[in-house]
Amino acid sequence: MNPIGTEPYIVLSMVLFLMGALGVLMRRNAILLFMSVELMLNSANLALVAFAREWGQVNGHVFVFFVMTVAAAEVAIGLALIVNIFRERQSINIDELRQMQG
Amino acid sequence: MEWLFLVVSFVAVLAAGMMLTRQNAVHSALFLIVNFGCVAFLYLMLDAPFLAMVQVTVYTGAIMVLFLFVIMLLGAEATTDTSGRMRWLGFAGTAVAIILLLIFAFPLASDMLANETVEQPDSRSQARVINAIPGGDVDAFTIRDLGESMTLEGRVSGSVLFDSSGDSLQDLRFDDVVYEYGRDATQRYTVLPAGEYNVIAGVELAGFVTSPLLAEAVTMTADSAHSVVFYENVEGIVDVVLMEDDVSAPAVGKMRLTVFNAVTDKQVSLIDIGQYTARRSLCEDDSCSSLIPHRVLIEQLPAGQQTSLQLDEGSYNLAFIDQDHTVLRTLADYDAERGLIETRVLVREPGVPGSQPSYRAAVFNAIATPAFGSPEAVGQVLFIEYVLPVMLVGVLLLVALIGVIVLARPDALAQAERRRINRRRRVNRPLVSVISQQTGSDVLSGDYMAKLTGGSDDSAVE
Repeated sequence: MNPIGTEPYIVLSMVLFLMGALGVLMRRNAILLFMSVELMLNSANLALVAFAREWGQVNGHVFVFFVMTVAAAEVAIGLALIVNIFRERQSINIDELRQMQG
Repeated sequence: MEWLFLVVSFVAVLAAGMMLTRQNAVHSALFLIVNFGCVAFLYLMLDAPFLAMVQVTVYTGAIMVLFLFVIMLLGAEATTDTSGRMRWLGFAGTAVAIILLLIFAFPLASDMLANETVEQPDSRSQARVINAIPGGDVDAFTIRDLGESMTLEGRVSGSVLFDSSGDSLQDLRFDDVVYEYGRDATQRYTVLPAGEYNVIAGVELAGFVTSPLLAEAVTMTADSAHSVVFYENVEGIVDVVLMEDDVSAPAVGKMRLTVFNAVTDKQVSLIDIGQYTARRSLCEDDSCSSLIPHRVLIEQLPAGQQTSLQLDEGSYNLAFIDQDHTVLRTLADYDAERGLIETRVLVREPGVPGSQPSYRAAVFNAIATPAFGSPEAVGQVLFIEYVLPVMLVGVLLLVALIGVIVLARPDALAQAERRRINRRRRVNRPLVSVISQQTGSDVLSGDYMAKLTGGSDDSAVE
């Protein structure tokens, strides 16, 4: 019925996760940083769903739900922070945010 | 299927790459939406239709719209990345990422290339017990390691021992009782891994299963469902039969009615008698030349067998008749609900010997286990097994909500503080300053004070 095994999904999930990690490391725009984090969360979700099918357990799907909820909360808070920072400094380049360095 | 996966995953990776490299943040967000859409498609391919829909609505819908909204709000579409500082980090990161990818993906990829045979996902079958014995309980057991004396031929990957105890018998004393079923008990299907099973059923006497009435090696294939039906035959002896059920969803707007004939000396037919009230006999005269008009739904079902039919949604007057057209049991105003899967077991009620036997059509609703990944399946696990985490996540969302409100209104807070200070100042302002504002002269200077007090003195003298 479904001839594709779990491994290709895991490999794809890895590729997407590493791309997200790269984005976090390379981009300096805070919003893009957040989008990269979303990409990483999504790739983790993909792996969870793939493993859920492998084991025939719905628990993986439930976990994806929790990840989505946490992601939504994180995005809401993060974007609010970004808006505040932009109001104050007119920039969201994270290299310029250095006031917390001792 | 494979090319579909390749295309979708290629688009997903491409979109992720474009997202990383675009200078315009709006373009990045749009490419990320494409990527999320691809992931939703992959969820569909992974038998997770509900999650796919949630992915589309929550991620590509809500979260990405929030991103776009903030980008537009800030006007930060084109913030440059040319900071120069820590530029080496990006290249180092790329190198480390590629190395990591090779390390992780290499075993998997080599595995995939090595064995071409694709493993099927774990397949599941279902089994249940139907207790149609007028008196007495049925216990069901799962015994993993069956004694050699009881094993039948075939691989024993797991064994189901279904045991019955009659009226006079006590409950079994085996260790792992899985379920106990009273009379007419409806059981959910128990999900078992597909494989070969030995189904053994018998009457229990003094803690032992004596003379198995049913000892059958069954191959339970994926997505199949079996019922073990216990019933009492005409001689009053418990009999048992194993049947394969059809638990696929009925056609749209229909229900599936399965009838099992447990009346061992009769062949039972199920008829739709329409508006006519059922009489003891459907024959107008002895020769049965003129029957009341009816529609035969099931014809001459032999004892110990089952058959199923699909009924349109609606209300029916049904009757079970035997081969002599004698009405055994009527089901007046029988409501056929769409999507329902119902099993009716026609059994003889135990009565006083010699009296007119009465019959009963016991109902066993097949509550089909929800399909893997369906909203029902996810909801069951979510709200039964994971209630506490759901609550905690709800609290987390609430905290996040409040946090966002607080974060988004720093100006409003400052304004409120200023207003509070202003209000105090206004109250403390002395009356003289109000007068001075109105008269335009300085009240507190000596002249005016004197004039004010002197004037009043004068008027008092006068």
